[in-house]
Amino acid sequence: MSTISLHDTHHDDHGHGHHHETFLTKYVFSQDHKMIAKQFLITGIIMAVIAMLLSILFRLQLAWPDKTFPLLETFLGKWAEGGRIRPDFFLALVTIHGTIMVFFVLTAGLSGTFSNLLIPLQVGARDMASPFMNMLSYWFFLVACIVMMSSFFVQTGPASGGWTIYPPLSAVPKAMPGSGLGMTLWLISMVIFVASSLIGSLNYVSTILNMRTKGMDLWKMPLTIWALFLTAILGILSFPVLVAGVVLLIFDRSFGTSFYLSDIVFGTEILPNEGGSPILWQHLFWFLGHPEVYIVIMPALGISSEIISVNSRKPIFGYHAMVYSLIGITVLSFIVWGHHMFVTGMNPLLGGVFMITTLIIAVPSAVKTFNYLATLWRGNIRFTPAMLFAIGLVSFFISGGLTGIFLGNASLDINLHDTYFVVAHFHLVMGSAAIFGMLAGVYHWFPKMFGRMMNPKLAYLHFWVTFICAYLVFFPLHFLGLDGVPRRYYAFTEFEFMNKWLTVNVFVTWSAIIAALAQVAFLFNFFYSIFRGKKATQNPWEANTLEWTTPVEHLHGNWPGEIPTVYRWPYDYSKPGADQDFILQTTPFSETMSSNLPHDFEGNEEAERIQREWEAANKPVQE
Amino acid sequence: MVGTLQQGNIPVNFKAKKFLVWLFVVSSTIMFGGWTSYYLVFMASKGKGHGLVLPEVFSYSTVVLLVSSVCLFLAARALKGGDTSKHRMLLWGTFILGIVFAVMQFQGWTSLYQTGAVLVNNNAAISMIYIVSGFHLLHIVAGLAFVLSSLIGSYKNVSQEVAEYRQDITSIFWHFIDILWIYLYVFLLLNS
Ligand code: HEM
Ligand SMILES: [Cu+2]
Repeated sequence: MSTISLHDTHHDDHGHGHHHETFLTKYVFSQDHKMIAKQFLITGIIMAVIAMLLSILFRLQLAWPDKTFPLLETFLGKWAEGGRIRPDFFLALVTIHGTIMVFFVLTAGLSGTFSNLLIPLQVGARDMASPFMNMLSYWFFLVACIVMMSSFFVQTGPASGGWTIYPPLSAVPKAMPGSGLGMTLWLISMVIFVASSLIGSLNYVSTILNMRTKGMDLWKMPLTIWALFLTAILGILSFPVLVAGVVLLIFDRSFGTSFYLSDIVFGTEILPNEGGSPILWQHLFWFLGHPEVYIVIMPALGISSEIISVNSRKPIFGYHAMVYSLIGITVLSFIVWGHHMFVTGMNPLLGGVFMITTLIIAVPSAVKTFNYLATLWRGNIRFTPAMLFAIGLVSFFISGGLTGIFLGNASLDINLHDTYFVVAHFHLVMGSAAIFGMLAGVYHWFPKMFGRMMNPKLAYLHFWVTFICAYLVFFPLHFLGLDGVPRRYYAFTEFEFMNKWLTVNVFVTWSAIIAALAQVAFLFNFFYSIFRGKKATQNPWEANTLEWTTPVEHLHGNWPGEIPTVYRWPYDYSKPGADQDFILQTTPFSETMSSNLPHDFEGNEEAERIQREWEAANKPVQE
Repeated sequence: MVGTLQQGNIPVNFKAKKFLVWLFVVSSTIMFGGWTSYYLVFMASKGKGHGLVLPEVFSYSTVVLLVSSVCLFLAARALKGGDTSKHRMLLWGTFILGIVFAVMQFQGWTSLYQTGAVLVNNNAAISMIYIVSGFHLLHIVAGLAFVLSSLIGSYKNVSQEVAEYRQDITSIFWHFIDILWIYLYVFLLLNS
């Protein structure tokens, strides 16, 4: 029944198949989740490169505030008149860098890619609940990217109020150049982006809850799926609040309402808006904003769980604890947003409450970290590129998470808020950790996506340079922050006490440049391997999950025959008594009598009896 | 070939698609939750709400919307009972009541406007009335589209399975926007 060879079906598909696939339906308006995943990934990579280049531009300014770079004027024209980046443009660079990285790369690029690729493949479904909406999700994302980038081509430049777009800078179009058309485009882009993200999330959740294959109960799902599932739920519950906030902001900007505005004076002119409060924007924004940082990190954590277990050849340590920590993070992330607002004049009692919830959320994060370390402990580790990046994630998650605990204490945060300490914190824990999770995923599932392998040598080069440079870039920033150096400043030349940090800034910029160059190794490897990489085998990493039971060649519907049934959890690696060091989820217990354990049967007495009989009959042979 | 993947056609999972509508309902609720939270925090910090007597027409429109929900409920029953013409008639009823509701909302805004409670206002609580009722009306437009798709299905004689699926998602969505309006209306009445 399920043994029809792949080639037959493939032929069928093309011969008198249902829809004749044209270039347009296959590569452009595809409704196949695997193709949509690739579209998300490649768009995400392009956006990441753009955002990285923007960061190099502002790093140049920070390191050499007095130097001129005539080359910059050639490329940027009036934004870098006389070879120096203009202050307005500096602010725009920081803002758009942050926006692209957080939303377009680490939300859409990460969740969009891996949810689309892995959800149907790992739960055993032919496609998403609504392939059409899935396609829509990608196209909205692309349009959002284009609108955001188009703001570089308007007279007044892109939005410049920071990625959190606090009013009044974002609410009063004439506040500064970047508050004009660029800000409007930012808001339009973000509304489209949220639509994309919501449509995607609805699909992911519905697919996971309704379309799992036979035998795949929730507790047999790989941790990637758990993480992507809870991420999607976080998105569904938090993004609408951002929309609510953005709608009010649009009304303030364009129609003259006063939701966030009051008592604003320009020179001698008093704005008519009265009675609003910019703090309310911060509440609405961070009610999304904090869950958003977990939307960014949870898929990366899920991906690492899977990769670390596969490449340690060991079951993940504390599978249930991992799931419960993810659930704990999901729930808690809704009640900690106030830690971004300790200095808004918040009631100290309320601040205390947010402080406690914030410190509690560190607990599930720590549980996950310890479980990673315990999985690695005495494992039979294979240092594949994916594994290195996953371990890199653990490293960054620890070093960045620790500073989170500093910041979570209101009394410390009042000093550290809006300094480079915060920048260091979130670039390690979110920036670096999540990017490493994403890269780990790309290296691991590249064979699944493209049927070919990436070059490991280039990958090792990519890893080591990026890993070291990321620390060299972000670690020194802690010390700037502790010394009180504020973030988002154009130049530190005007302040006596900051002069001593100039050499550090030069060092950081050089490290950033080297890290950026290392990405060329990745980009080359990625695009070259799509066409020329070594052909992949069906299960190159000897992993247990369902996606590796599909044929290497893609077909719409994933499995040529019936969807396989699942009998066991995904982490049976190095099970004592088994013939191989991995047992696919599709292998029934009846085929692995020598390695079954009593708790495998989940209380099924019939199965336990059969196992006992088998053991009684086979024992003498083994001795 | 016996595999379930016949000629690459992927069977549609109606249950999963219906679930999408439920999830949308959740996220939309949260969006309105964001606005009403704004309202509560605003009221707590400024010590004032919109301070208006809401136009009477809002209470009539509430009744119209409730009746439309009943109408749609009966339509779903008629479809299950196989009574196509009754189903159609009741769907049309829902559709028309939806339009009437929309017209009445416009009347409500007009009378607000005439009493001086305009959108561009130094009392954000008053602006908020327009925001929530306006975005609710957008949901009504979407709901009307759902009703229409059920109607079209009925005239095109789609299979019973598809007809019931369309009817189901229409019902979920329409009853939701009905309840949503009642919530918003009561909220605005209580927090003046
Ligand atoms: C161990 C748990 C964590 C704690 C206790 C914590 C605490 C904090 C606190 C208190 C702040 C506010 C600092 C300020 O603006 O003064 C902050 C900022 C931030 N955190 Fe964390 N954090 C933790 C983990 C994470 C994770 C896992 C991520 C992302 C993956 C993250 C991303 C961010 C970002 C993006 C900001 C800065 C937002 C901005 O102002 O632009 N944090 N964190
Ligand atoms: Cu936070």
